[in-house]
Amino acid sequence: MITLSYRIQGGDFDSAGLATRKLKEQLARIGVAAPVMRRAMIASYEAEMNVVIHARTGTLWARLDEEKLDLEVADEGPGIPDVQLALREGWSTASSQARQMGFGAGLGLPNIRRNSDLFDIETRVGRGTRIRSTILLGPRDDGDGPLLQTPGFLSLEPERCRACLRCIFTCPTAALRVHGSRPVLLPELCIGCTACAGECADEVFGIGSANPGSPDAGRADTGRAGLPPVPPDAVLVLPRGFLAGFPVTDSPARVLAALQDAGFADIRLVDEWEQALRREARAFAGSGSGPFPLIPPFCPAVVALVESRFPSLIPHLGRWLSPLEAAGEEFPLRPVFLVAACGAQYSSAGRTSLTDRLTVLTPARLAEAVLPGLARRAAAAPAQSAGPGGEPAPDPRELAATGVRHVMRVLSEAEAGALAGATLLDLSLCDGGCAGSPLLCADPFLALHRWQRAPISAARSDAAAVPRQKPYAQRHGVRLDKDMGEAMRRLARIDELVRSLPGRECGACGAPSCAAFAEDVVMGRADADGCPHRHGHREETE
Amino acid sequence: MKVKELARLIDARLHLGTCSEDSEIAKVHASDTMSDLIEHAAPATLLLTSLHNSQLVRVAELMDVPGICLVSGVDPQPELLERARETGTAILVSPAGLEETCRRLEDCSGTLEVTRA
Repeated sequence: MITLSYRIQGGDFDSAGLATRKLKEQLARIGVAAPVMRRAMIASYEAEMNVVIHARTGTLWARLDEEKLDLEVADEGPGIPDVQLALREGWSTASSQARQMGFGAGLGLPNIRRNSDLFDIETRVGRGTRIRSTILLGPRDDGDGPLLQTPGFLSLEPERCRACLRCIFTCPTAALRVHGSRPVLLPELCIGCTACAGECADEVFGIGSANPGSPDAGRADTGRAGLPPVPPDAVLVLPRGFLAGFPVTDSPARVLAALQDAGFADIRLVDEWEQALRREARAFAGSGSGPFPLIPPFCPAVVALVESRFPSLIPHLGRWLSPLEAAGEEFPLRPVFLVAACGAQYSSAGRTSLTDRLTVLTPARLAEAVLPGLARRAAAAPAQSAGPGGEPAPDPRELAATGVRHVMRVLSEAEAGALAGATLLDLSLCDGGCAGSPLLCADPFLALHRWQRAPISAARSDAAAVPRQKPYAQRHGVRLDKDMGEAMRRLARIDELVRSLPGRECGACGAPSCAAFAEDVVMGRADADGCPHRHGHREETE
Repeated sequence: MKVKELARLIDARLHLGTCSEDSEIAKVHASDTMSDLIEHAAPATLLLTSLHNSQLVRVAELMDVPGICLVSGVDPQPELLERARETGTAILVSPAGLEETCRRLEDCSGTLEVTRA
């Protein structure tokens, strides 16, 4: 894998195209095939010209691995007020100078999209625009699943498992099995919520270990590598629970000081973006446009849960980026370090950038980096009180719930149409919100207590909610077969097998339910003899 | 068709630079918008346009285009010629306008594919 980056100067028509030319030289040296080169040049040149024509300054990044070429062009500029309009052929706001040169025909963005296997644009009026284009190097997969679906980034240390089976019953999407005293993850079903980690007493589950072959393998956070170098203009965005999570008196201020010692000059709380999203979502819900209840994407694991288990609620999901994703978009040209509290955040935040501008850290990795400083450091002066926080009192029609079981019930009610009177669902899969992530050090209530005793103000926030361009889509999980006829035959066999099972949902086979076990057997993931209670088999073991 | 034959067909002035006069041209694409030109730019394709800024050469360079044909007898800017020399892009200047040049190319040769935006 290689990463290249080039600066682009807005308004400089003389050196326009130079970044793309330099990119071409490097790609030619690597030996990129001609059809890929052709598409890359069109996408890169058009994106570069967008910066030159419309923005003050920008950067082109290119990342190449064995499977694909990722291009990302970000600028500081006026942004695009209406992306759908801008994607329409013939629509342009280019200056007359640009038009005289043959630009501004309104074909640039459509050209980039046409030449990309994966195209994405995020833009904020007054801030800037980011365009991403991915070009696959090989032939496209004939499956109709989404391209380059990012896995949930759950990592397992199977040898720690003592087969207590708690995780398989906790997982809201039935993505876990225990076979032969070892946990097995079905990554297609995992939504990255880390509920399993909360149940597990043996620390089997974590996030962010390198997942070979995954799109983000290059940036995967192994937790052992220490922190990468921190550039002076870097921004660190972390959950409040991290600052309050260490078992140290006055921990928020101390941890903050230790992070500053580690080189982070600009440290922001993801809460800023969560509050911005809440304000925006309340205003939207108050404007009366449904469908109700609105489910804003506070928690990316809830979004993934809706996409996989409650697809009928997909239209209720608010069209914004999740708070951590929004934080990643806030500083278009600065290096940003995001601390993910769970696998879902880890993968969704990583997905907001295809390049090295963003580094997504696990709490464990950051903790390792600050712990030595924490020991050395005397308690810092108490920070300013955060005050009331400026959030309006919640509307009684809003429903807030946290924790897997509660969120599942609320979503079931909503799916059944029983929550029509609620305007907004404020849901997080971790107990008490992100601060309750099992990957943060302390219990959420202990952390909250520490925080309330020594809070750190986030008063200067200019965080804003960021509209989401990419549509939500149903997650199909594991397909029974690519061929629909075969899939139906398998479904029939699963059905038949379920009827022969006792329905005790005991977990003795390692699957959370008899239905899941039947599917495992038909899909070849388990042996039918795995059920000790099946008809025609031993009635009871031992 | 070789680039020098094509130039002769339309009475074009030819600035070869480091480009060989024997460079093969299989196709001509005519357009006055950059996005359309880059979308159709390819090896062995001559770009025909009434634009005349030096970004044309950049596009030609990125897309391995052998040559660009300007029209209406313009005097190419020195900067454009300089860049064309550096990159080995042939610059032709047709005395006729874009439409007329297109027509002549279509009339004169059956071996050449001519497309327009």
